[in-house]
Amino acid sequence: MHDQQMDPLGRTVTKDEQELLALFRQLERLSQRTDLPPCALMNVKQAMVLMWNACNDLFLISEDPRGD
Amino acid sequence: MTQHWSPYWNPKVETLPKDQLRALQLKKLQTLVQYACTHSPFHRRLYEKAGVRPEQIKTLDDIRRLPFMTREDWMANQAEQPLFGDLITRPPADAIRYHLTSGTSGRQPLRVLDSRKDWSWITDMWCYGFWGFGIRPRDTVFFAFSYGSFIGFWGAHYCCEKIGCLTLASGNMTTEQRVKQIVELGATVVCATPTYALRMGQTAEKMGINLKRDGKVRRVIVSGEPAGSIPAVKKMIEDMWGGKCGDTAGMTEIGTIMVFECEQQPGGPHIIEDHFIEEVLDSDTGEPLPYGQRGERVVTSFGRSFIPLIRYRTKDLVNKVPHTHCSCGRNGDIYEGGILGRTDDMKLIRGTNVYPRAVESVVREHAEIEEFQIILTRTDNVQDEIAVKIELKPNQQDCWPRLRAQLSKDLADAHEGLRFNVDLANVGELPRFELKAKRLQDLRPTN
Ligand SMILES: [Zn+2]
Repeated sequence: MHDQQMDPLGRTVTKDEQELLALFRQLERLSQRTDLPPCALMNVKQAMVLMWNACNDLFLISEDPRGD
Repeated sequence: MTQHWSPYWNPKVETLPKDQLRALQLKKLQTLVQYACTHSPFHRRLYEKAGVRPEQIKTLDDIRRLPFMTREDWMANQAEQPLFGDLITRPPADAIRYHLTSGTSGRQPLRVLDSRKDWSWITDMWCYGFWGFGIRPRDTVFFAFSYGSFIGFWGAHYCCEKIGCLTLASGNMTTEQRVKQIVELGATVVCATPTYALRMGQTAEKMGINLKRDGKVRRVIVSGEPAGSIPAVKKMIEDMWGGKCGDTAGMTEIGTIMVFECEQQPGGPHIIEDHFIEEVLDSDTGEPLPYGQRGERVVTSFGRSFIPLIRYRTKDLVNKVPHTHCSCGRNGDIYEGGILGRTDDMKLIRGTNVYPRAVESVVREHAEIEEFQIILTRTDNVQDEIAVKIELKPNQQDCWPRLRAQLSKDLADAHEGLRFNVDLANVGELPRFELKAKRLQDLRPTN
């Protein structure tokens, strides 16, 4: 997966922001899994939502808010 | 080592130059309108009827192409397709929370659903406000509020957990117990309605507790009543508690707060403009008003995914002034004096909505009553009182003690337990009407 270089306004994404985004994407992928134990999956979903919140506040993403 | 915190919850976006903030809002608006049209049949119909398509939103001014959404539309949609209507964008099973307003007699409640992301966002909006008013991880926050099906303060509680404060709920406590706890625990922040913040102060006095001397409260955060932005009320609260009093305002429809006071307190709360577009319009013509002119708030929220809120007519009266009225550096414009009132006849009494029509529907169930008046007053510039004055039909005086008790109970039951004073008028004392009866006298001072 490519690192996201620009935010939705076309501004360069900083190194810290790239790290936050990568974490979010990773959690997003994991939260779609159906084969993880409940204790992993539900906590991953909660973690994903918190990372979404950080990326959304920083306006690093602008997309369909479903998928939780 | 002492951590040096940013004064902003979101330093990057809260201080963006205004043109970039507007660009952000446009992007979010385009995404939201497209999303609403695709996933909410209610919105799709609304826009088809108005002949507008998402791709026509090319500038922020294009928001004016979009039709308004009203509470009446929402209620009608819920009634047609119980429980939630087809306004919602997702199956109810996707939600993790369900909140509703109190349905007063003859009125159905407003029902809202939130997903995991929605709830985290709701919490986050409170974080903008709490952080902006100086709440930090070391604070101990006491919520003097009883949580239930009403959404009020729920998000604030979760916000304090997110910030890392020691957070205490007190739904099971009496006022005396709350006062005792606040002192014993050394709470540094208290959250309540402004009326209740004062009541706790008065109770403390009666208990021989000087909150200023014995307590450690440095911030009182109020919500739920317009009184929180009245300077005289703030001063009374600050004199009692010894901490700074800050106002916030929100609504069930958006699930959270959309404005908060920063530590500079320039005379009104900032709008959280990266998550909301707040228009101020002439409520009769729907035309935008310039800064400094009182008009109706119309809100577009970028938050809750379950229920898109686009150009929602709030009926709140506000006066918007530029962000430059404050020196804190935030780019969010300011509602001078907070929420100033309502465009319609709904009355807010100690945090509860009262509609004259709902009162009338209770009163009219008793055939012994000839005429009545609703009288609203304000005690000590703070505490709102509602009285219903009853004039009985001739020769019905004997039923008064029973009727009075029954009315007090029925009116309270229909209004979330709100206390009504029920008084007896002399025969012939109350005005009679032929057309357009005026049965409500609002004797409270205007802000
Ligand atoms: Zn400010």
